[in-house]
Amino acid sequence: MLNRFSDLLGKITAWLMLFMVIVTFIVVVMRYVFDIGLIWLQESVIWMHAVGFMIGASYTLYHEEHVRVDIFYRELNPKRQAWINLFGVLIFLLPLCFFIGWKAFDFVAISWRIQEASRESGGLPYPMIPILKSILVIMPITVSLQGVVMLSDCIRTIRKN
Amino acid sequence: MEWVAALLFITVIIFLLAGFPVAFTLGGTALIFAIAGMIGGSFNGALLSSLPNRIFGIMTNQTLVAVPLFVFMGVTLERAKIAEELLETLSSLFGSLRGGLGVSITLVGMLLAASTGIVGATVVTMGLLSLPTMLKRGYSPEISAGTICASGTLGQIIPPSIILVMLGDVMTTAYQQAQLDMGIYSPKTVSVGDLFAGALIPGLLLVFLYILYILLLAYFKPNVMPAHHRTSEEKISVMKIIRALLPPLLLIFGVLGSILGGYATPTEAAGVGGTGALLIAIIHRQLNLEKLLEIMRYTLRISSMVFLILIGASIFSLVFRGYGGDDSVQALLESIPGGVIGAVLAVMLIMFLLGFVLDFIEITFVVVPIVAPILLAMGLDPIWLGILIAINLQTSFLTPPFGFALFYLRGVAPPSIKTTQIYRGVIPFVIIQLFTLLLISVFPELVTWLPNKIYGS
Repeated sequence: MLNRFSDLLGKITAWLMLFMVIVTFIVVVMRYVFDIGLIWLQESVIWMHAVGFMIGASYTLYHEEHVRVDIFYRELNPKRQAWINLFGVLIFLLPLCFFIGWKAFDFVAISWRIQEASRESGGLPYPMIPILKSILVIMPITVSLQGVVMLSDCIRTIRKN
Repeated sequence: MEWVAALLFITVIIFLLAGFPVAFTLGGTALIFAIAGMIGGSFNGALLSSLPNRIFGIMTNQTLVAVPLFVFMGVTLERAKIAEELLETLSSLFGSLRGGLGVSITLVGMLLAASTGIVGATVVTMGLLSLPTMLKRGYSPEISAGTICASGTLGQIIPPSIILVMLGDVMTTAYQQAQLDMGIYSPKTVSVGDLFAGALIPGLLLVFLYILYILLLAYFKPNVMPAHHRTSEEKISVMKIIRALLPPLLLIFGVLGSILGGYATPTEAAGVGGTGALLIAIIHRQLNLEKLLEIMRYTLRISSMVFLILIGASIFSLVFRGYGGDDSVQALLESIPGGVIGAVLAVMLIMFLLGFVLDFIEITFVVVPIVAPILLAMGLDPIWLGILIAINLQTSFLTPPFGFALFYLRGVAPPSIKTTQIYRGVIPFVIIQLFTLLLISVFPELVTWLPNKIYGS
């Protein structure tokens, strides 16, 4: 269930990568051909980029593509690997996610309260900035959920062997 | 409390070696140290309050937006089979020459520099693409493996590689900090474009030396690299050559030219390059929805992987600094005999060794921010230092027995090739790398001349 959630989230977010490329192209054409600088459009590229990699984090975790230093890891049997992942999720991943989400909470709340808009004139309007900041709380939640899935997979592997 | 910083560094290395994903290990270990220090009263917890702001800074970093855009461009070119077609065309052009196939592979490695920039991916692609052909045409396993590994790592140093983008961003910050430390309050800046310009001559020099070596070897030992006599069905038309070569060449020169010429920022050029790559893929009838989805998803995963490491590394740096780690590194580097030269040598040696276990991304985000400001404050040129680091790490990835590139090639090479053959084949290239490093150290102008020429000093 949670696996499918991460996967779906990633597949939707992936579209942002295509839009980023095309919007950047449009920004360049507007600027160099028509001499029109659209700040909000430029900022939207950064917005898509940031939302993309943050929300894509749990999807990447699900697809096992967060890089590991694997010179020893790859030689281990599945049970040993499962132990490492079990401890990794418990002492690194979950505490880190909890900490980031907790510290970011006020940061995000303030942004919503003051109805923050871009500091540049002609930049992204409210509520795009608060949404972007909210990702700081959403990312830890989605990654933790995927971490819990990893945890249950690890326990299953350890039991089986 | 400086010993805690040292302990943190050693602990992180040990935990990383256990194999849990780097991003979480970096941040998680630092967090444990910070909490322990807060309980024991030796760490100022207020430091961590800046964390959300720092992560938000990473999310909105203008320069680094170029990373996913360049990855998108590279993946599109790769999935559109541009690399394959390029290699096929070049090798039928040069194939009848002794060593011609080796030369073609080096050139493709150079042209596809931007393609991935992820060490493993390029070596694997090149290995799958060209190793069977080389062996079939009677190339010795040594020279085949050596050529593929070396040209696969070229992608890091030839602009527009995403590694230079990341290194450029880190150097920008480091240079600012170094000048502030020196009491310069109207600091000069260094940009990704500077680094691209600085990398161009050393990169081309490497390509030249690789090709020179291949041709010399082919001349003196023809049996290890026989010429291939074209059969009639392999004849190629001029049209086909133009069709295969022109679009990617135009794209790469357009992207690079617009950055070096100062017409576009790397981000803008990358966006145009990505769109151009899509167009080439469409022209070559290599794009369908399924492939497009694959390209997008792969780009997302690489981007997420890179930036999560950056977040983990920034938490690590925060805690490392909180324990005074940067001061102790500074004291250590200044105590090394031989002044600046001694310090640079020591740093390069450590990075070379770290290159055996850590990837380029981790070293760029974890180690460079610690040591670069100190070295730059000793009066070094930021572009020169950046290029020296890049070539040094590239060499490390090639060096037996631990080099990354060798592992990746081992993974795709047939069992008939012995690991020792891969090692033997790559050693001449490692020597070329070391020679280039020496050359750049003795003649820094090789790096600094072009950026000065383009952007003024």
